[in-house]
Amino acid sequence: MAKTTAKLISLILTSVILIASVAGCQSGGNENGTGRVTIVGSSTLLPIIQAASEEYVKDHPDAKVDVQGGGSSVGIESTISGTAAIGMCSRELKPEEAEKGLFKTPIAVDAIAIIVNPDNPVHGLTKEQAMKIFSGKITNWTEVGGKDEEIILINRDEASGTREAFFKLLMGERDFLKKAIIQPGSGQVRSIVGQTPGAVGYLSRGYVTNEVKVLALDSVRPSISTIRDKTYPLSRTLYLLTKEKPRGPAKDFIDFVLSPGVQKCIVGTAYEPIIEVKK
Amino acid sequence: MKKEKLLRYVFLLAASVAILTIFLIFVFMAVKGVPLFFKVPLTGFLFGTDWSPTKGHFGAFPLIVGSFLVTLGAVAIGGPLGIAVAIFLSEIASSRVANFIRPTVELLAGIPSVIYGFFGIMLIVPLVRTFVGGAGFGFISASFVLAIMILPTIAALTEDTLRSVPKAHKWGSLALGATEWQTIKKVTLPSASEGILSAVILGIGRAIGETMAVLMVIGNAPIIPTSLRDPFSTITSVVALDMSYASGEHQEALFALALILFIISMSLVAMLRFVSRQRSTR
Repeated sequence: MAKTTAKLISLILTSVILIASVAGCQSGGNENGTGRVTIVGSSTLLPIIQAASEEYVKDHPDAKVDVQGGGSSVGIESTISGTAAIGMCSRELKPEEAEKGLFKTPIAVDAIAIIVNPDNPVHGLTKEQAMKIFSGKITNWTEVGGKDEEIILINRDEASGTREAFFKLLMGERDFLKKAIIQPGSGQVRSIVGQTPGAVGYLSRGYVTNEVKVLALDSVRPSISTIRDKTYPLSRTLYLLTKEKPRGPAKDFIDFVLSPGVQKCIVGTAYEPIIEVKK
Repeated sequence: MKKEKLLRYVFLLAASVAILTIFLIFVFMAVKGVPLFFKVPLTGFLFGTDWSPTKGHFGAFPLIVGSFLVTLGAVAIGGPLGIAVAIFLSEIASSRVANFIRPTVELLAGIPSVIYGFFGIMLIVPLVRTFVGGAGFGFISASFVLAIMILPTIAALTEDTLRSVPKAHKWGSLALGATEWQTIKKVTLPSASEGILSAVILGIGRAIGETMAVLMVIGNAPIIPTSLRDPFSTITSVVALDMSYASGEHQEALFALALILFIISMSLVAMLRFVSRQRSTR
């Protein structure tokens, strides 16, 4: 008898402990007004927001800013759930996400570059060719004027805003080839395309280095001027998201990103500042 | 006496934390995952071949096949290798050599999986790219990385069972004129076979649950591979990649995947118990 009571008591005790710890997790994630701002989302925006946050902390010594990647969808989810004060997003919201009433602040315009291995002799594609390559209709570089080499597609994961934007801007109704290699970040896409003969991928222009070669699309290369005059077909707006109209520390930070000083720096990282595009 | 009793409760409490945790994890996954089956039929989930979660297609068959494929590949390479290492350590090497090699092999078990993944990307993937073609991501790279990861588990457990084979049996065999290799093959290995099987099952358990290293070298395409060069996915890689942003049905589908993995792991544990019970009743 004593034994069963003891068992019962310990069972109840452990459940209490576990429930308490679970409850603790749920209330612990909220942002409060002490000047701490958590920013999560698009890896496209990560470098500029990271740089901006370092500057911001210099100006506001009592503020704390945490910046993490993960992809636009992670940013949207975290902003909706409240685990992040600001979400970084490199695509338009889907209808079901827009319903949640997120507030979008456009901060820069970016171009998505199609990249290949530096040894690839191909310099450019038409939109039609690019679409056929990424949907798997064209499988060898000879079909677009290159050497006899199998095309190896490097795609992004479905959390990626770059993938979603690329799909909307280029693919139209056609699906991506499912056999493509999937990588969870722009950096990985760049390094694999850089190492693999015959590989092709896409990423934000801000991520381009001389590890890879950028292709022209319909004879237009992505650059500040082709983004500005809208001749480069794959450009998109980058947003910072907040649950409602920004206020408190989140507003301070967003205003800082939109300030002329920071917007000028954005040009240096190969994105187009939003102020100039608006004109 | 009072202290004795109190301590009993303390240890009982510790034990029930373990049981309750397993129970809560199972219930949690079931509560989160099972609602999916009201919208997607179970057979459609288990045998559907189209995994496009953001479009609402939840066919998990390619992922389940992927998990079994890499596990099979890992055991095919890591199993014989681990058993060979164990034979060397327990039967062939001098104790000085064995005492040097054993900790080295054990050290393999302590390396974090992300480092194995990194090693895979930097070394194995380029090698596969050079010798097999394609981008190097997929079956061969994933199997190799996993084989190295399960090697210490299989080697350590196999060595234990080989050492537990009574010395008299081996001496008897050698005295009858059998060579060392004949003794290992005909006497030592057969009498340790159930222990070796347990070691391999534990290796399978480790391989099928491994996430980070696999995710880094497998290529992550949600398809059933048709060639050695095709990238594909496993249950664990998909859960890890999608968990951070999934919501709604997609999230339920991930919990359902986790539930499947949980059931596979439980079956492996049950198999292990069955094998070791057979051994002890002999």
